[in-house]
Amino acid sequence: MSPARIRLLVWKEFKQLRRDPLLLRIIFAMPVLQLIMFGYVVAADVTHLPTAIVDLDHSAVSRQVAEAFTASGYFTVDAHPVSEAGIRPLMDSATISVAVVVPEGTQAALDRGETAPIGVIVDGADGQTSGVALSYATQIVQQVNAHRLAAYGVDTTAAPGLDARIRVAYNPSIRAVNSMLPGLIGIICMISITVVMSQAVVKERESGTLEQMFVTPITHTEYLIGKVIPYTLVALAQATLVAVVAVTWFRVPFNGGPAAVGVVVVGLLLFMLTALGLGLLISVVSRTRHQAQQTVMFLLLPAMLLSGYIFPLESMPRVLLPVAYAIPLTHVLIVLRGAFVHGAGFAAMAGPLLALVGFAVLIFGAALLAVRRRLRGA
Amino acid sequence: MRATLARVGAITRKEFRHLLRDPRSLAVVLLLPVIELVLFGYAVSFDVGQLPTVVVDQDRSAASRAYVRSYSASGFFDVQTDATDLTQVDTLFRENRVRVAVVVPAGFGRAVAAGEKAQVAVLVDGADVQAARIGQAYAIALNARYGGQLTAAWADRQGAALTGGVGLLEPRSRTWYNPERRSSLFLIPGLVVVIIMIVTVQQTATSLVRERDLHTFEQMQVSPLRPAELLVGKMLPWTLLAFLDLSVIVALGIGMFGVPLRGSVPLLVVASAVFILACLALGLIVSAVSPSMETANVLALMIAFLPSFLLSGLAFPLASIPVWLRWLSYAFPARYLVSISHGVFLRGAGFAELWVPLIQLAAYAGLVGLVATVLARRRTP
Repeated sequence: MSPARIRLLVWKEFKQLRRDPLLLRIIFAMPVLQLIMFGYVVAADVTHLPTAIVDLDHSAVSRQVAEAFTASGYFTVDAHPVSEAGIRPLMDSATISVAVVVPEGTQAALDRGETAPIGVIVDGADGQTSGVALSYATQIVQQVNAHRLAAYGVDTTAAPGLDARIRVAYNPSIRAVNSMLPGLIGIICMISITVVMSQAVVKERESGTLEQMFVTPITHTEYLIGKVIPYTLVALAQATLVAVVAVTWFRVPFNGGPAAVGVVVVGLLLFMLTALGLGLLISVVSRTRHQAQQTVMFLLLPAMLLSGYIFPLESMPRVLLPVAYAIPLTHVLIVLRGAFVHGAGFAAMAGPLLALVGFAVLIFGAALLAVRRRLRGA
Repeated sequence: MRATLARVGAITRKEFRHLLRDPRSLAVVLLLPVIELVLFGYAVSFDVGQLPTVVVDQDRSAASRAYVRSYSASGFFDVQTDATDLTQVDTLFRENRVRVAVVVPAGFGRAVAAGEKAQVAVLVDGADVQAARIGQAYAIALNARYGGQLTAAWADRQGAALTGGVGLLEPRSRTWYNPERRSSLFLIPGLVVVIIMIVTVQQTATSLVRERDLHTFEQMQVSPLRPAELLVGKMLPWTLLAFLDLSVIVALGIGMFGVPLRGSVPLLVVASAVFILACLALGLIVSAVSPSMETANVLALMIAFLPSFLLSGLAFPLASIPVWLRWLSYAFPARYLVSISHGVFLRGAGFAELWVPLIQLAAYAGLVGLVATVLARRRTP
């Protein structure tokens, strides 16, 4: 094995990369784009829901309810239909996603000491938002109740019942970026390594430079190392970029100590081996570059969806959980989130790390064998 | 005219032959939609249920056991283990084995019996944001209900009205269009859009660049084909396949996953047709600016895939994202069709409600069509 020859091959790969300026730009634009998308879109917390208030009571309490909804920040009241029938067209055209109805006689019922219903309608078509909207609305109505009781001198804090302290640990304000961006490091590594590696061998075979390569003194192992190094470096640069932007710009806290940093590094390196192996395997089994791209596309999409990155694993049917755990990305996400959010060390992350070791040995080993066989045939 | 049709037909046949010879592309076009549909309809959702839960019952009274039982009875929490103290809870969180911890301190039962405020604590793991939000909401609701029951029971025993004659407001909630709030019902109508976009943008872009890479483009230019005929012939197969995918997803979505189709079908067809035109034009633009097939592929992926998933309102509401990103979302066609698709499928909307996004989509298609024509002209002298 000659380091000089490997260095030359790495040099050649970088030169080829530089010749395609758009591809190079894309390699650097992709992490930035994904940071924006995942940092601002997926991580967006539900606020400013367009809301209509139908006030049929025109009383002090109905104004109080309207004010409470406006002041909360979760709802933006921008329609005041005069009747309940006015809600339907607004909802049908998706102008509003929440409607609050204060029926006629609410104030009168309250004055008699009765319980008065107040209507909250949410647009279920807007998926996850509707559930959040309902719980916000319930909280706001409870606040109005507490204010009214306080105004009448009834102290609810002294009344019997439950004093439930519900707290979100590790991420108290449920900031989504805190767990989305650590995961993004893994996603970027996977996409960028698999996409580029899958082209590596098939490209040379397509343009006939593979045969040229092997009339030179280079050995198969040197060839492989020289191919793998440049793209690993590129992926490492991307991962670092994401991590730095996440911590400095999006202020994602890193809750762990040095052990957690070690967990991240070890986990990522193992995962990179897996991604490299997968890319090489695809490259070897594909006849054309186009085929390789299609195969990558086919594998990456289910991997992203089933890994628990966007859709929680808890929402998956139990029978599909083995499928989710057969995806290496699932484990590296657990490792990254565990280290960043929980500050977990090697002991706590032993399970997913071992799984990653298994995947790395299995997939990278298979790739080595496949590439060797292919090169011998070349 | 007949000669034109014959020439367009020949190109179309050629494209289909290419496709049939390349089983992987065929699989992407025909199988990927079905796989995604099954994933979205069955596997992934935001509907978190059965959050793994640990209980720390330091009171061990009848009252505390009844309170803890209300968690497993709710169907939202899956009480898996017991722990004796909080450090154990921390370890369980770190090992990713539970998402929720319920802590009942000693003295709970005594406080309930005495009619005092009984203390409890619920910890939700913030590492998975979706699960944390939902876990928090469930926990708040469960405790509010249980607390209300305790209060009422105590008031009954005391024979007293609690609120001192002050009437209270009670929220009565209704969820329209999707009462069970199943996420597959809103993910599948949006999925249609993503699939069409991948099939059209990506496939047209790469197939045009490939033609240039293999130098068969010049061969066709010296044939009797007119540029317009060539273009129509190259795009027709993908248009047909996009419509085929659309029909398959809609049929399976309605048949297998119970997605309702309440609104105007003609509107959906018109909007999809305009959308497909816009996507084809985007594919043309990508092919015109890309020097190589890899670049075309990655560029198409970046235009077709990420924004149509994330900047379209398919899964993540556009109302919550920063304003500058909302403006950016108008640069990609997916958002227009997603709002039309959600409206038609779920809200029973028609032209009267959805003319705004339809006109926006048409204007967008016209604009990118223009850009594509100019760029394609410049590329083929």
